[in-house]
Amino acid sequence: MNNSTELRFKTARRSGFRKSPGEVIFDVTNVTMFTIFMLLCIFPFYYLFINTISDNDLVLKGAITYYPIGINFSNYIALKEVNDLGNAFIVTITRTIFGTALMVFASALAGYLVTKKKLWKRSFWYRYLVITMYFNAGLIPWYMNMVMLGMTENYMAYIIPGIVAPFNIILVKTYVESIPGELEESAFMDGASTFTIFRKIIWPLSKPILATIAVFGAVGNWNSFQDSLILMKSSPQLFTLQHRLYFYLVKASDLETVMSGGAGTNVVLENTLNSKVVKYTIAMATIIPILLVYPIMQKHFVKGIMLGAIKG
Amino acid sequence: MKNTAISPRELNSAGELNTAKPSTLLHGILRLGSLILCLCMFFPGLNPARISNLINKNISLFTTGFSFSNLTTRFNAMFRQGSVNKSTFVLLSAASVVIIVGAVLCGIGGCMSLGNNRMKSRGIWFPVAGSIVISGGLFCIYRSYLELQASKGAKRAQPVFPSVFYLYAGLAAVLLLVSLIILLTERRLEKEEKMEMPEKYSLFLMLLPIIILAFVFLYLPLYGWRYSFFDYEAGGTLSRENFVGFKWFTILFRNQATVKDIIRVMRNTLVMSGLGILTSWVPMAFAILLNEIKSNRFKRLVQTITTIPNFISWVLVYAIALAIFSTEGFLNSFLEFFNANQNINWLMSAENTWLKMLLWGTWKSLGWSAIVYIAAIAGIDQELYEAAKIDGASRFQRVLHITVPGLMPTYLVLLLLTIAGALSNGLEQYLMFANANNKDVIEVLDLYVYNIGITGGRIPLSTVIGMTKSLISIALLLFANRISKWVRGEGII
Repeated sequence: MNNSTELRFKTARRSGFRKSPGEVIFDVTNVTMFTIFMLLCIFPFYYLFINTISDNDLVLKGAITYYPIGINFSNYIALKEVNDLGNAFIVTITRTIFGTALMVFASALAGYLVTKKKLWKRSFWYRYLVITMYFNAGLIPWYMNMVMLGMTENYMAYIIPGIVAPFNIILVKTYVESIPGELEESAFMDGASTFTIFRKIIWPLSKPILATIAVFGAVGNWNSFQDSLILMKSSPQLFTLQHRLYFYLVKASDLETVMSGGAGTNVVLENTLNSKVVKYTIAMATIIPILLVYPIMQKHFVKGIMLGAIKG
Repeated sequence: MKNTAISPRELNSAGELNTAKPSTLLHGILRLGSLILCLCMFFPGLNPARISNLINKNISLFTTGFSFSNLTTRFNAMFRQGSVNKSTFVLLSAASVVIIVGAVLCGIGGCMSLGNNRMKSRGIWFPVAGSIVISGGLFCIYRSYLELQASKGAKRAQPVFPSVFYLYAGLAAVLLLVSLIILLTERRLEKEEKMEMPEKYSLFLMLLPIIILAFVFLYLPLYGWRYSFFDYEAGGTLSRENFVGFKWFTILFRNQATVKDIIRVMRNTLVMSGLGILTSWVPMAFAILLNEIKSNRFKRLVQTITTIPNFISWVLVYAIALAIFSTEGFLNSFLEFFNANQNINWLMSAENTWLKMLLWGTWKSLGWSAIVYIAAIAGIDQELYEAAKIDGASRFQRVLHITVPGLMPTYLVLLLLTIAGALSNGLEQYLMFANANNKDVIEVLDLYVYNIGITGGRIPLSTVIGMTKSLISIALLLFANRISKWVRGEGII
C-alpha cells in the first residue's frame, strides 16, 4: 500500500515536472505551428499595407515583398479623387452608428420585456421572436419583400430591417434574468414605471452584454455588402464601402472608371498612380478602422461568444 | 373582459351594470380594425392610391406617401410634356400621407382602448378623428383620380379606379361608426381619476413595435413564396392569368438544362459542405493544442491574432487574395526567390477550387471557431487533471481521456448545426472568388439562386429553388435536433 503510493508520486513527478524528449519536441512543434499560423493571419495585412505606402512603380512590378521602399502616403491622399468613395464612407459610418444604436436599444428593451412575467402572452411572443432564427424565406422572397416595402434604392433599408435581431434579444434576456429581481422590485415599490426601471436599472446593469452586441452589430454594419449589392443596384451614391470596393475590384478594371475626371484631365495622377494600388489603398482604408478598434472589441466578443456557448 | 368578481361599487348601481361595462365586442372591433388598417399600409396589393396602371404594382400606400420619386417613375416624361399635371400626383402623395396619419391615430386609439375606463373614454376620440382624417385622404385620392382622368394625357396615363379604395372606405366607416357608438354609450364611465392601463397591456404595447418589425421583415418574406406559383417577370404583376400552379417545380425536374445546372450546383454545394464537415474537428484540435502551451501571454497573442481575419468581410479577403496571389503578387515574388516563378495568376485558375475555398474559409474562421472550445476547456473541472496526474497519466493520455471527452458535447452540437446548414454555404465568399474559369466548380446553391434570380431576373424559378432549400434546411435542423435529443438527452434548438 505504502509502496504503491510512493510509486504513484514518483510517476506523477516524472510526468508532471520533468519533460521527456518527446514532450519537448511536441512543445517546440506546437509553438512553431502556432507561430506560422499567426504569421499567415497577420502577414497579408502587412503586405497589403507596405504596398500602399511604397513607390508605385515598384509595386506595379511586384518588387515590394517584405518591406516598404520609398515610403510615401500619396496613395491615401489620392483617395479623395476616387469616385463616390466619400459617399461610401459617409453611408457606411452613419449606418454603423444609427443601425447599431437602434439595434442595441431595441434588443435591450425587447430582451427586458420578455423577462417580465406580466407581459401579455409572454411565452408566445418570446417564441414568436426566437423562431425566426430557424427559418429563412430565402434570398429572392426577401428581395421581393424589400421591393414591396419600397426599401430598394432607399437608405432606410440599411437601418430599419436590422433593428430586430432575435439572437441578440436572447442574449440580453439571458443576461437580464441573471440580474437579481430584488433590485427591480424595490424600484417598483418606490413607484418607478417600467420604462424608468429599464432606463435606470436594467440598462446600466446589462452594459457588458450590450457592449458585446454593439460590437457585433457595428462590425456587421461596417462589413455589410449583400444588402447594398442587391437593393441599391441603381443608386451608386448609396453604395456601402464594401460594395464600392467590390465594384472596383471586380467590375472596374482601369483607373479611368475609378478616378473622377477620366484619363485626360488627371494626367499627373495617371502617371503616379495605378488602379491596382488604388484598389489596395481603398481596401486598406476599409481594414484600418477595424484593426484600430479591434483591441477594444476583443474583450467584449470573447465574453459574448461564451454567453452564446452557454446558450447553445 | 373576464370579470371574475364584481366590485361593490358596481353592485351598488346594479341597474347600470350592463351599460357601465365597456363593450368587449366594440373595443375588439376597434382594435382589430385599427390593426388591419395599419398593416394594410405596407401591402402594395392593398394600395388605394394606385389610380393608374402605370404606377408600380409593387409600391404600398406607405411608399406612395413617402417616396414621391418611386411613385412617379413612369410619369416624368408626361410631366415634362404637360399632358399630366404634377400637382395631381402631389395631391395623391399628400393624400397618402393623410391616410397614414389617420391610420396612426386609429392605431393610438386602438392601443388606448386597452387601458382603464378613463383611458378608454379619452382614447376614443382618436379613432373618431382618425377615421374622419382617412375619409378626407380618400376624398383627395378620388379628386386626383378625377383630375388624372380629365387630363390631356388620360389615355397614356391609363387611369384605373383601385377597388381596394372601397376596403379603406369601409374600414374608415366601420371605425367611425364603432367609435361613435362607444363615444355615445360609454360617456358615463369616467369613474377612475387617473388614466391607467393594466401592466400586462402596457408591457405588450412597448414590445409591439418590435413585434411589428419582426413581422414585416422576418415573417412577411414567407409571403414571397407565392411567386413560385406564378409566371412572374421582373416589374410585372401577379394575377389569375399568370398563375401556373406547380409549373416551376416540374421544370426543376423536367427541363434538361435546369436539371444539369441543379446537379452541378448541388455537387458543388455538397462537396464544399462535406469538406467543412470533414474538417469540423480542426477548431477543436486548435483549441486543445493551444491549451497545451504553458505561456499565457503566448496563448493570448495567438487568440488575438488568429481571430482578426474573422472580422474582415469577404470583399476584403478577396482584396488580400488579389494582393498575394495575382501575377505580380507576393506568392510569385516569393517563388522567384527559389527560381520557381511561373507568373501564374493563382486566383484565375480553376484547379483545386474546392480545396482553395476550404482553405480560405479555414483561414478566416479557424481562430474564431476555436474560442468556443477554449471556453469549454476552461470549464472542465481542474481536479480531473490533478487526479489523472497523480494516477500517472501522461500528458497525451490526459488530453485523450479528459479534454477530448469534455469537449465532445460542444463538438456534437456544432457538428449537428453544421450538418443542418449544409445547404447554406453563404453567398459572399463564392461571389467574390467566382470568375470565368472556375464558374462551374464554384457555383454553390446560394450563388446560383443569386445568379438566376437577382442577376438573371428569373424570379419564380429562383424562388422555387430557395423555397425548397429552406424547407430541406428546416427538416435537416429538426432531424439534427432529434438526433441530439436521442444522443445527449437535450435538443439543440
